[in-house]
Amino acid sequence: MRFRTAPDGGVDLLLDPIEVGFLQTLPDQLRACYEAPADDPARARLFPRAYLDPTEETAEREWQALAQPGLLRDRLDALATMQAHLEAATPRGRRRRVTLGASDVALWAAVLNDVRLAFGARLGVEDDTDFSRIGPDDPLGAEKAAYVWCSALQGALVEAMLLGLPD
Amino acid sequence: MRGAPAATTAPVEIGHPELDERTATDRPWIVVVWNDPVNLMVYVVWVLQKLFGYSREKATRLMHQVHYEGKAAVSDGSREQCEADVARLHAHGLWATMEQPS
Repeated sequence: MRFRTAPDGGVDLLLDPIEVGFLQTLPDQLRACYEAPADDPARARLFPRAYLDPTEETAEREWQALAQPGLLRDRLDALATMQAHLEAATPRGRRRRVTLGASDVALWAAVLNDVRLAFGARLGVEDDTDFSRIGPDDPLGAEKAAYVWCSALQGALVEAMLLGLPD
Repeated sequence: MRGAPAATTAPVEIGHPELDERTATDRPWIVVVWNDPVNLMVYVVWVLQKLFGYSREKATRLMHQVHYEGKAAVSDGSREQCEADVARLHAHGLWATMEQPS
């Protein structure tokens, strides 16, 4: 992956074909998380409660009925937009070039954040979790490597966005 | 932040129960963001700046409070305002809840 910030707050990504292929698997993985049962750890983290107080259960149910359809619809729309960006990638040597405008960068950062929340919940990520060394026989090695790679890309996108905000 | 609600030991007029009701429902709510092992620190700063218009310095201070103290109150207001803020924070993947401080 190569990364270049454009003057308008957008970003130019140069991705290897294998990276494009990996990114194209993410929308289906996230849709499965969004549709998982409410007690699934990834689903629960992506759609948390608004109220912790058990005496506010009525308000919680009303809030969920009001807010969650929109939260889900916006997430599904973001996945479709990201897929369109990947399909519009243009060849650049053996790589693929993805050009993102400033609002696209925010959308990608949010999708990658959901990916990391979902993988993080399934992998049991904690504050001191360190995936910098993944053993060759680790059965969760692919998921951990994907988490690390998404973290790097999301971090770079966020740094680019912070340049566009006032200090 | 808004001031604390009036103490409940104040004299109560028996004939005006709606006043008590309004005092209770008008007490401000706060939106709390909880520490999370996944969300990137820079991402939390960016979300707080973007959603609430906070300066980099204020957003960074709140992010540090979340990270080192476990949680931080990031906004306050009526129940409806806080429910909307919680939804916006959830849309960005932050773990936010709301409560009414006693």
